[in-house]
Amino acid sequence: MSTVSPETADQHLSADTPTTTWQRLSARIIWVDLAISVLSVLPAAVAIWVFDIDATGGQIWPLIGLAVLGVLGAVFDMVRWTFTRFRISPGYVELKTGVLLRQHRSIQRDRVRSVDVEAKLRHRMAKMRVVNIGAGQQSAAGESALSLDALSADDALSLQDDLLNGAAAPAEDPRLAPDPDQDGLPSPQRPDADTDAQNDDDQTAVAPPREPIRVFARFEPRWFIYNMFNIWAYVLALGLLWGGLWLLNTVGIDLYGFVVGLLDWESIGWVGTVLIALVAVGALGAVGLGIYYFTENWNFELARVPSGKGTMLRTRKGLLTTREINRDENRIRGAQISEPVLWRWMGASDTSVITTGLDEWSMSEPAAILPRGPVHRAKEVAGQVLGAPENPFHAHLNPHPRRALRRRLWWATALALGIGGVLTWLALIDVVPYTTIWAAAAFWPMSLLAAVIAYRALGHTLTDRYVITRSGLLNRATTVLQRSAVSTIVISESLLQRRLNLRTVSTMTAAGGGGYDTPDIDRQQSVEFAVQAAPGLLDPFLVPDK
Amino acid sequence: MLCRSGFYAGKMNETALQATPSDSRVISGHDSSQSARSDLSALSLRPPAHRVERRAVGWWMLQSVVLSVPILAAAIVAYVLWEAARPWLVLAIVAASLLLIVGVAVEPLMRYRVHRWETTPEAVYARSGWLVREWRAAPLSRVQTVDALRGPLEQLLGLSTLRVTTASSYGAIDIGGLDQKTAARLAEDLTEITQQTPGDAT
Repeated sequence: MSTVSPETADQHLSADTPTTTWQRLSARIIWVDLAISVLSVLPAAVAIWVFDIDATGGQIWPLIGLAVLGVLGAVFDMVRWTFTRFRISPGYVELKTGVLLRQHRSIQRDRVRSVDVEAKLRHRMAKMRVVNIGAGQQSAAGESALSLDALSADDALSLQDDLLNGAAAPAEDPRLAPDPDQDGLPSPQRPDADTDAQNDDDQTAVAPPREPIRVFARFEPRWFIYNMFNIWAYVLALGLLWGGLWLLNTVGIDLYGFVVGLLDWESIGWVGTVLIALVAVGALGAVGLGIYYFTENWNFELARVPSGKGTMLRTRKGLLTTREINRDENRIRGAQISEPVLWRWMGASDTSVITTGLDEWSMSEPAAILPRGPVHRAKEVAGQVLGAPENPFHAHLNPHPRRALRRRLWWATALALGIGGVLTWLALIDVVPYTTIWAAAAFWPMSLLAAVIAYRALGHTLTDRYVITRSGLLNRATTVLQRSAVSTIVISESLLQRRLNLRTVSTMTAAGGGGYDTPDIDRQQSVEFAVQAAPGLLDPFLVPDK
Repeated sequence: MLCRSGFYAGKMNETALQATPSDSRVISGHDSSQSARSDLSALSLRPPAHRVERRAVGWWMLQSVVLSVPILAAAIVAYVLWEAARPWLVLAIVAASLLLIVGVAVEPLMRYRVHRWETTPEAVYARSGWLVREWRAAPLSRVQTVDALRGPLEQLLGLSTLRVTTASSYGAIDIGGLDQKTAARLAEDLTEITQQTPGDAT
């Protein structure tokens, strides 16, 4: 392995003459690491020398722990930098890393599906970027994207251009001037939608991808309200409280005592105490999530940008940590909007694209194209992204037969009876008191209500391009999937479904979640639906009805 | 077969034309559209052409035995050794016995009636299941791999499972209970066809 000086790594990676020497990551990592070491030692040093806190006392240990962790992390990072080399050759992206366990990973360039750029605050202050190169790996296979942590910002951008645009030579083209219709709120009619998608092809022969062809959505400050209410609010609040308690404790303020002295808890009783605690903690968490929404989605922009192979759907966002995610539009097979049941009244919805080559389970949720927001905007944007002349998310969905409701009511009742049975049995053998059986009685109407909600969520239809299906209790998901993307079609029928003359049709696809169910269609219509969902596939297996 | 698919193809075109967004009748609600039904509604899926081997019944029986006998044995041993828990263990023994009886006497026969398969130059089509029936069809143009698999019990009976996978993680079609020679030949033939069929890279 040849040793390359850090200067070489800082040279630009030109698009038409790919460098084939092994390179190092940006040498600025060393400086960042040194700065982090100093910063992490600082609190302990200040505490000992400025505030004269006894270094053997218990209070100082967390600070010393922080210092040790910070310095160790920085040292490991420097070691990692020393032993890491990467190479971008015409055919491959290669990365060698590791001290004891040497790893050599390579990705064929024509298999590169995504090149995402990310920067934490420390990267941004040092003008560095982390480049994650994905090759459509299956998360189940334990593969992960190849991550270059970190390159200088310029190198990262030119590497991204290089990988996404292939060998396309950079050229100026007046046609790539920014679209005047970029106000972020395009009219819902959008007659240009289809022409957009078609014109993209000839535009993409020319390279520089920085200017968007079309901007679909921008940061919406008002959407914070949709992002405040979430079960994570409690996790966040408890973390904040624990951290606050500990921090204030080290400087001698007793937060616990303060809260105890705030109200007369004796007279409120434990039920009131629990309620107040739930509300207060929940409110704290909700505020935290609201702030998190701003830091995470600041400067959010969803845009279509040209690339060497076609067009890409690009997301940029972040206040402290910035992220840029690019998705190849040739691989988009549909979109999904899901509405969580508890927040449906306010219209909260999550929007994602159904595409191949993205890791569905990744923490950064690359398939999500919008933050949680109002469902009418989600439908608009998702429809524009798909580019169909008529927005498939506005299509009228056919309701499912009433027997589908009966099936759900049966299951709800059976579940309540099952729970009641188990509780009765447990009460009989003196494991739980008899009063708990009432829990099953209370559960029954709730499960019946859930059955009705689940039934009302059902719907399906077909357009000339898409299979559209909606279902789900906790998350009502509307899925729009290209009919041509359906690879396997599955019709299934359980015992109860057979009695009720119902069937479930599943359309399996290589993209997104792998398969999408349309539960409880009338038996006869299930055949029609399946036949049309996957054009031509079932034709040879059909016979006239007897 | 060919004749039938030709006959149908003509009708398909008509109905495909009707399936525009503006015309949602094509598969609209059961109650509203009795009169406006398309020709498709006069059709139903026929079962795939071939049954699996008779020996498959034995295979499914053996599978149930291998699954439930250890549970039953464990429950009986516990019943003998652990006096205090006998009221609970009676339940376990009854449940395990039921599982065994149903698994040996009912499930294999029901499966033998349901399980069928068929391959054409364009597609693989199979029906399976007993409590939940499943019809699965995949076009060969989307098929990624075709393998003939043999578990230890299948080896014993000279059987084999044909596994056809597509790019979808849920799209695989398993056809169990085939004769080993049949499965091997099918795997070879289908692999050849899939290599000739222009696939779409996904």
